[in-house]
Amino acid sequence: MRFTQSIAPVLLLLTAGVAQAASAWGFDDGSLAVVAKKSGGTSKEKLSQKAPLSKPVSLGSTDTLKLLLTAKDNGKGKRPHQAFLVLQEPESGLEAPFPLTVKESGKAAVQISHKDLPVQLLAATKPLKASVVLASFGSAQGLNTPVFEVKIETDANAPPPTYEKPLRYGKQPEIHHTFGADPKSPPKVISLFFALAVAATLPALFISWVSLGGNLNHLSKAIGAAPLSHATFFGSIMAMEFVFFMYYTSWNLFQVLPVMGAVAAITVFSGTKALGEVQSRRLAGER
Amino acid sequence: MRSLLSLFSLLAFLFAAAVSALSTSGNRLLVILDDVAEKESYSKFLGDLESRGFQLSFESPKSESLALFHLGERRYDHVVFFPTKTKGLGPNLTPNILVDFMNANGNVLVTLTSGTAAPNSLVSLLTELEIQLPADRTNLVVDHFHYDAASAADTHDVLLLPPPTSVRPDIKNYFGAGAGKDDVLAFPRGVGAALGASELLTPILRAPRTAYSYNPKEQAEVVDDVFAAGEQLSLVSAFQARNSARLTLVGAAEMLQDKWFDVEVTKAGANKAAKTFNREFAKRVSGWTFNEIGVLRVNWIEHHLNEAGGNNESNPTIYRIKNDVKYTISLSEYVWTTWSLFTVPANDALQLEFSMLSPFHRLALTPSAAYTSAGESESGYSATFKLPDQHGIFNFKINYKRPFVSNVEEKNTVSVRHMAHDEWPRSFVISGAWPWITGVGVTVAGWLGFCALWMYSAPVGGKRAGSKKTQ
Amino acid sequence: MSADPLQVLASAGKGESTRGLLRVIILLLIAAAAIASRLFSVIRFESIIHEFDPWFNFRATKYLVANGFYNFWDWFDDRTWHPLGRVTGGTLYPGLMVTSGIIYHALRALTIPVDIRNICVLLAPACSGLTAVATYLLTNEMTPSPSAGLLAALFMGIAPGYISRSVAGSYDNEAIAIFLLVFTFYLWIKALKQGSMLWGALCALFYGYMVASWGGYAFITCLLPLHAFVLICMGRYSTRLYVSYTTWYALGTLASMQIPFVGFLPVKTSEHMPALGIFGFLQLLAFLDYVRAAMPSRQFQTFLWMFAGGTFGLSLLGLVLATSAGVIAPWGGRFYSLWDTSYAKIHIPIIASVSEHQPTAWPAFFFDLNMLIWLFPVGVYLCFQELADEHVFIVVYAVFGSYFAGVMVRLMLTLTPVVCVAAAIAVSTLLDTYLRAKLPKPEEIQAAEASEGKKGAKSGLKSTSKPVVGVYAIWGKSMMVSALAVYLLIFVLHCTWVTSNAYSSPSVVLASRLPDGSQHIIDDYREAYQWLRQNTREDAKIMSWWDYGYQIGGMADRPTLVDNNTWNNTHIATVGKAMSSSEEVSYPIMRQHEVDYVLVVFGGLLGYSGDDINKFLWMVRIAEGIWPEEISERSFFTPRGEYRVDGEATEAMKNSLMYKMSYYNYNNLFPPGKAMDRMRNSLLPEVGPTLSTLDEAFTSENWIIRIYKVKDLDNLGRDHTSAAAFDRGHKKAKKASKKRGPRRLRVD
Repeated sequence: MRFTQSIAPVLLLLTAGVAQAASAWGFDDGSLAVVAKKSGGTSKEKLSQKAPLSKPVSLGSTDTLKLLLTAKDNGKGKRPHQAFLVLQEPESGLEAPFPLTVKESGKAAVQISHKDLPVQLLAATKPLKASVVLASFGSAQGLNTPVFEVKIETDANAPPPTYEKPLRYGKQPEIHHTFGADPKSPPKVISLFFALAVAATLPALFISWVSLGGNLNHLSKAIGAAPLSHATFFGSIMAMEFVFFMYYTSWNLFQVLPVMGAVAAITVFSGTKALGEVQSRRLAGER
Repeated sequence: MRSLLSLFSLLAFLFAAAVSALSTSGNRLLVILDDVAEKESYSKFLGDLESRGFQLSFESPKSESLALFHLGERRYDHVVFFPTKTKGLGPNLTPNILVDFMNANGNVLVTLTSGTAAPNSLVSLLTELEIQLPADRTNLVVDHFHYDAASAADTHDVLLLPPPTSVRPDIKNYFGAGAGKDDVLAFPRGVGAALGASELLTPILRAPRTAYSYNPKEQAEVVDDVFAAGEQLSLVSAFQARNSARLTLVGAAEMLQDKWFDVEVTKAGANKAAKTFNREFAKRVSGWTFNEIGVLRVNWIEHHLNEAGGNNESNPTIYRIKNDVKYTISLSEYVWTTWSLFTVPANDALQLEFSMLSPFHRLALTPSAAYTSAGESESGYSATFKLPDQHGIFNFKINYKRPFVSNVEEKNTVSVRHMAHDEWPRSFVISGAWPWITGVGVTVAGWLGFCALWMYSAPVGGKRAGSKKTQ
Repeated sequence: MSADPLQVLASAGKGESTRGLLRVIILLLIAAAAIASRLFSVIRFESIIHEFDPWFNFRATKYLVANGFYNFWDWFDDRTWHPLGRVTGGTLYPGLMVTSGIIYHALRALTIPVDIRNICVLLAPACSGLTAVATYLLTNEMTPSPSAGLLAALFMGIAPGYISRSVAGSYDNEAIAIFLLVFTFYLWIKALKQGSMLWGALCALFYGYMVASWGGYAFITCLLPLHAFVLICMGRYSTRLYVSYTTWYALGTLASMQIPFVGFLPVKTSEHMPALGIFGFLQLLAFLDYVRAAMPSRQFQTFLWMFAGGTFGLSLLGLVLATSAGVIAPWGGRFYSLWDTSYAKIHIPIIASVSEHQPTAWPAFFFDLNMLIWLFPVGVYLCFQELADEHVFIVVYAVFGSYFAGVMVRLMLTLTPVVCVAAAIAVSTLLDTYLRAKLPKPEEIQAAEASEGKKGAKSGLKSTSKPVVGVYAIWGKSMMVSALAVYLLIFVLHCTWVTSNAYSSPSVVLASRLPDGSQHIIDDYREAYQWLRQNTREDAKIMSWWDYGYQIGGMADRPTLVDNNTWNNTHIATVGKAMSSSEEVSYPIMRQHEVDYVLVVFGGLLGYSGDDINKFLWMVRIAEGIWPEEISERSFFTPRGEYRVDGEATEAMKNSLMYKMSYYNYNNLFPPGKAMDRMRNSLLPEVGPTLSTLDEAFTSENWIIRIYKVKDLDNLGRDHTSAAAFDRGHKKAKKASKKRGPRRLRVD
């Protein structure tokens, strides 16, 4: 059904043309030759307006394509105003017309080589579709018929023709930023194991101290000799550690510095006294 | 108070809208004609323009009083050039003045006709825009397959074309949409142009594949060298500058004449006569050129931190790396008389770039119902995304440039800073840090223990005490 | 108390406390003199920040004062290195700014409102006063003579080598760092002499302050271990050394790691490895010492060799492995350039391009140190004579300081303190010898004779007789003393002259003399920066060569692409490429970087040598380092190898943006064909360069600064060259030729 619909206008057009003017453009003696410059060899094909060539011809970089035909209006050789060979790139639909040089008799010819082709056609990967357009003023029905396909063979040695797409406003491919990988921690089990191992050194240290004879036997003596300074000295050392802990958890530098200064002053003052007491014990041979 | 104010402003707006033209960029329209009497043949076209609110002034290029600028300000918002016989347009319409006019956001509609050479000034203006006219300027476009059999059965110089379709599927069809199936455009005795590669150019109406342009004087017998043919031949072309100033080239001035507005034409080979679409097409082409359609407006842009518990300040100047951010832009499109919702064509996308030197993100914005206004004239588009992990000065960039739509180029600069020293996860959260934290604790406890031991330990043996003493 | 003033005066120098008071007064006077001699620039010009880097420090200080310490710490500066930005808080040495901030807030607390700029301007002179005191303390540790310390303080106070970096307005890290350097050395000597943990901890504290202030802290980090190493090699290992070094290293390293910019560098980079190595070595020695006490010496010998050899081998292997695995960074480029002066020129042009990184010329030593330079070896020699631990320090410092000062001009600064100390020792020894030497009493001589027993009575007779020539002679004494006094006076004159003439120019303002001898101020820089500040958008990006980045940021308050903090070589090379390429290449680069204005410095009209054309080859070289196939230094030289700007300049030169911007419209100043570049003494081509992508926006009074505005893309989509040609009235050439190439098809 679809097929008939699409074919119908063409048929209609053809019949109408015939019925109305009984005159239409056509050609005869069509021939296509590809002349190779190096070898001089030519391959020739006959062209007909009824059906296009079944196989695409190939056009090398130094070759010349020659098209010869005789334009006829209702079978009589005549010169049409428009005699084009139109090459079309099938993917983009881009077309380039090549006007034929036509003699009074209707004999027409055109030569095409690579240097005549627009870059888009030159860079085409599929064979170009060639059609012949013959038409003129007046009532004669014009002819626009596909005649052959031509494959563009680029020179393997020369750099291939580059065609850069011109800038056209439109949407562009999306981009998503790829983020760097987050830093990774080792498995928690391992961390936990090592944390415990580190923690275990503390009892080990204390036990070894005790086993080597460490004791706190002089505590009472020291407290007795200088109670205030010993208490504040040891207290200030612990307070300093507490300040560090608070700095780690919540305080900022400006809260820490004054407290630290105060604690340090206490440490120095009480320390001189307390350590003096320790020294006195040492001098007394009790350490 | 506020509502009163807004009511007042609304009234003011309505008043202004009623008085001024409905174009978004002013209503002072200058028409350049050889002879003011010629305007009769364009009476319908000009009447349409007047009825749309334009104030028409007519000038001949030879006129002394003609000036596009007065004290550096534009005197007109739009200019229409009808074909003139003079070769030059005089000192008041030099190409440089016309370029200045476009740089100052003025719009230009140029019409040509075959047989009358286009003035030098216009040719060099068009050349600057990469619109190439045939060298002899009097070329004629013919098509032996699609012509009006009624008026040009023999000369084939009245082309009949279907109303234009979009050159690309992602472009809204502003000129041919809604045309009937049988509507045809008549393009009588026109000049075709070849367009360069410029991205600012778009053909509105392309010639049929079998059409070609020739010089009736030199190439009357046969066409040996063709200027352009087929779809490469642009019959009506549009140029939109970066500042959205528009220039339209209509190849056939006759298209706009009354006689082609309501005339019955017959396609070659067809028996049935059809009405021309020219009047509507002329309205649309002039409407587009004079900023009545295809004009976008950015109502507002807003971006903010999209994080729970985060600062909800609008449009902050600084973000942090890896912040989640929401960006919204509100757009409206002007359609003849009113601002209305803007919808992105089906195959197109409104894209947001987040870029520093090159885009890090390029995302399609999605319509957001929450930001679409109640008055149905503002449509919001938004996107949420995570900022890249690279600090620097970034731009939220909307670069929505499409053929036939006025350019939207919006850049909002924000700084993306690094993590501050107190924004990292705390060390006790990181499992890998546990051994180290334990180490710190052990050292502290060991130090306190050592202090106690050193100060309060009693000697256990004489030898040990002795060795300590020497130190 | 006698009323006779003469007697008071005579007795003044006698008592110990009076001497102390006198010393304090003299020190205060020296400090005052040190400060006063640095104020030339303020008096001559005004209270203004000098040169380049100080502008950044000033700006950072303002930020600190305005936003508080923690915001400063986390400062992300989005007005430099556009569009990368700079994590400024983490990439600077905050000591200087924090010091100024503390002074500012302290003065505010005392209700003395002082402009932060004045604090910044006067910080360096104030610190120089402190440096003089610190030098006094350091020298006092070296010699028992109290006069040496005072002399050293005096030398330090006015030596041009130090003044060059500490005049008022020279608000740079060195201003405060030299004080910290000397004071840290003093504390180190103190700690070493006493073997005291307290002094060691204080030394570490000031070392930490030094690290916070100046990148030159590495000098201390390397010198102290070296001193320790030399002592160990001399067999002078002691528990004093162990205690002081270990305390300093452990606490000092922890302190230094608190600075974000330093972070983990002390355990990661090669520059810090000697300190760590000596730390380990000292632990080893302490252990061996302990073992030696508990072991027979024979066994100990073998144990020592086995142990020492094994440990050394293992640690060396560890170091090599860690370096090759990338755990420890290899030596940095700047470090290599200290050993091989041509290294930088080949590998890191950006370092070599800085004039203060050039090797020192010989006259500079005499210029900066004058007579101290020849007194210096004498002082070192005298140190050799005594050679206690602290004298070894002076010797080691002297050797290394001299070497580095010879390699890099700016390191003259680190040499100056030791030169002052050594020279002071020499002068004071001379003075002591000649002023104090009294005629030995006869009994003493006899005692000496008795002890020696060899020398006959002749000498005794000779010495007892009134000497005419020799150490004890009045004449000899007065000769020597007056000669020294003259030298000292000349030194003072020289220092004052150098300070006044060479080091007191702010370099932001240029001074010149008019023919009638009056001073003429050339104020183009500030004129241009003020223009930028008043006529451009607040976020207008300015592209200039990096030398002017800090000044633009500080004075014009506009974002810049690159500045004197040369952390990103690629970005600088990008600017270099934009400057040295043709307009077609530069324009996309400038668009991509959102450049609004380009600023160039041009000295051709005035004959100002520090202009961009003279620096241009560095831009080319740096750009060539990144894009060797696009930029080539060779193409800027004529075939005969000349660097020319006149008609015979190469095409690359004439087409470069820098050349065009420098000479654009320049020949309009002259009659046709007479355009002259007075800097390079060359006649310029008759037709000046044309610019199509830039518009001239501003040119200062003497053409020193030229500012160009970057044009927007052409509204009609043309390229700028043809748009400019169209504006000038040239029509586009019609492609009328019949023999055209293949048809051009348009794709939509």
